[in-house]
Amino acid sequence: MAAPAPTSAFARSPFRVLASLRLTVVCLGLGMLLVFLGTLAQVKSGIHAVQATYFQSLFVFWKPAGANWGIPVLPGGYLLGVVLLINLIAAHATRFQFTKKKAGIICLHLGVILLLIGQLLTGLYARETQMRINEGETVGYSEAAREVELAVIDVTNPEYDEVVAIPEKVIARGGVVQHPSLPFTLQIKRFLPNASLFMRSQVPTAPPSEATVGAGANIVATEQPRTIKDDERDLSAAFIEVTGLSGSLGTWLVSNAIADPQSFTLGDRTFELVMRQRRFPKAFAITLLDFRHDQYAGTDIPKNFSSRVRLVDQERGENREALISMNDPLRYRGFTFYQSGFDNNDTTTILQVVRNPAMLLPYIACGLVALGLTLQFSMHLFGFVKKKR
Amino acid sequence: MLLLGLLCAAVGCNKSDDSITAYRAPKEVRPETGAQQPAPEPGAPAGLHWLAPSSWEEQPASGFRKGSFLVRGGDGQTADVSVISFPEAAGGTLANVNRWREQLKLPPVTEEAQAGSSFPVAGHDMLFVELASEQPLEAKADKTRVLGGIYPAQTETWFFKMTGPDELVAAQREPFKEFLQSVHEEGGAPHATASGDSTNAPTPPLIDTLGAVPLQYTLPPGWKEKPLTPMRVASFNASAPNGKEVDISVVYLMGEAGGDLANVNRWRDQVKLPPIDEPGLQQSAERVETNGHNFLVVDLASSEPIGEPAAKQRIVAAILDDKGRSWFIKMTGEDAAVASQKSAFADFLHTLKFH
Repeated sequence: MAAPAPTSAFARSPFRVLASLRLTVVCLGLGMLLVFLGTLAQVKSGIHAVQATYFQSLFVFWKPAGANWGIPVLPGGYLLGVVLLINLIAAHATRFQFTKKKAGIICLHLGVILLLIGQLLTGLYARETQMRINEGETVGYSEAAREVELAVIDVTNPEYDEVVAIPEKVIARGGVVQHPSLPFTLQIKRFLPNASLFMRSQVPTAPPSEATVGAGANIVATEQPRTIKDDERDLSAAFIEVTGLSGSLGTWLVSNAIADPQSFTLGDRTFELVMRQRRFPKAFAITLLDFRHDQYAGTDIPKNFSSRVRLVDQERGENREALISMNDPLRYRGFTFYQSGFDNNDTTTILQVVRNPAMLLPYIACGLVALGLTLQFSMHLFGFVKKKR
Repeated sequence: MLLLGLLCAAVGCNKSDDSITAYRAPKEVRPETGAQQPAPEPGAPAGLHWLAPSSWEEQPASGFRKGSFLVRGGDGQTADVSVISFPEAAGGTLANVNRWREQLKLPPVTEEAQAGSSFPVAGHDMLFVELASEQPLEAKADKTRVLGGIYPAQTETWFFKMTGPDELVAAQREPFKEFLQSVHEEGGAPHATASGDSTNAPTPPLIDTLGAVPLQYTLPPGWKEKPLTPMRVASFNASAPNGKEVDISVVYLMGEAGGDLANVNRWRDQVKLPPIDEPGLQQSAERVETNGHNFLVVDLASSEPIGEPAAKQRIVAAILDDKGRSWFIKMTGEDAAVASQKSAFADFLHTLKFH
């Protein structure tokens, strides 16, 4: 009957490693290193790229120049977070005992576990977009600040548009794309994540355009490195060939720098090709009634920014006014609308639209940590006072 | 380990964020300038309208042209009129006039005053430009003359241009000026509003990229695979006994792709046959049942020689609606050559399997 002992010891040993304090220290150390290196990398790559490659990833890869493969050199934020989470849970399962005395510690650690899970869910599922509304205008969608889409819009019906939106990641993969509501295929011949566009007359030496129809035939698109600055936006471009059953209809150059719609007709339907910031349609619409930029009397110092909006949701029969100001966002249907900016001589408002299903977790986690600390401290205090007597 | 699994699942689920979406949206007023530019005021001009002389023949406007006309003169001469627009100043008036001058091999001008003369049209200044080449641009041709109008509307610059033989275009100066005078801005296009019954809630995402082609077949004797083009998922040719080649293609589209009748009529048009209606289609088409698929097969032969070199053409094609996809198997070529491959085509249909 001695045989099972080594097996269970073997099974226990990795568990012991997972629960060890050493692992916690190693993870925290690596975490500090990751934050340090990530901060340095921001100088070269910008905050958004660093967030994706250092913190919202399982590994940080080192890529030799020009190669499309990489070697993992550091665990990424997601991996460290998950290992820490497992470490904490395993420690509780093996070492800590659930006694009244330890209630504070357990409560505190539960808070930390929730915080880690909340951060993971936020990283995976939260989405921040923007809504840009001119006074008097009604907008039923929000836009991604740093992602484009190719919208193929069937404008045949005078009442509404039928939109097929192809996100940037699908465009970047290239190849042929088709959709049940489109009587043609789209071949993505070339995608330029960031490009500069010039009129052909300005660059007489440029090679002939890949675009055969539309405005693109007269435009020269040159690839540029992606911007790393927080206040700049990439101008993306792509060459798209549209092929119907009777053959190719031509190759278009689309870009979010060309806002002029490029249209073509196939059968009795008219389509438009537009590259634009990726849109997220909402089941409701917001009208900007008034934007206010208040200043302290006699100075140029801003006192308050606020947007008075009308929210109309036909599905839920909602039709009301709301005031969004700097520390007073509008919350509706899981979205939070913050006052984020303004433009056009104070006649356009820019709202930050945040959807985060894990929004409440950090609050609960902080509450638990505070409760745990209070419990722990009070128990020590009472114990100390009792002893003194 | 469970948590790691959950992490992977969560990352996997998040990928659905990258799928193609389709939705219905209210009509919108699109800003005519770059994404960073302010949107036009509601009610801003959505486009320009004009009145062309009745003698000008309207041509279909291509993607680039907003308007296009053909002007005919005596002895078969023609001049071309184009209307195009570009966002903002489109490089500046002078640069554009100099571009035209360069086309006529004229030296550039440096001052706007030399470029042409302005007159007011619907609240903006229309710059009228007249240029004539000093020499014929091509051998055995007349000198070329250009009449142009550059019109800065609120968010776009519009270019009106007539190009053609010197004499013909010179004779069109007054009609062209009247054409420029007739330009007017059209009031607001429909605005995006919250009212109306159209909702813009997204429909479930559907995606289909032509990665793996769900198709199996056996080639009939004499048929050879050909390189694929973007639409084709299979492509063959076959040589008829008379040495002529026929082309066979297999194409699919998602959904109904316009319906059987529209596609058959499109093919009929290719072989210069008159269109037919639904009962006509049911009468003339054949149904072929094979491997649990029900193909609609049509055989269309032109009644007279067409094309260059002129010969009778024929299309034998099969349409299949299968699991939300429309498949088109089509054989084209000269009448006799296609006829010789008709039984091979039927055999081919019997070997086709879709997944």
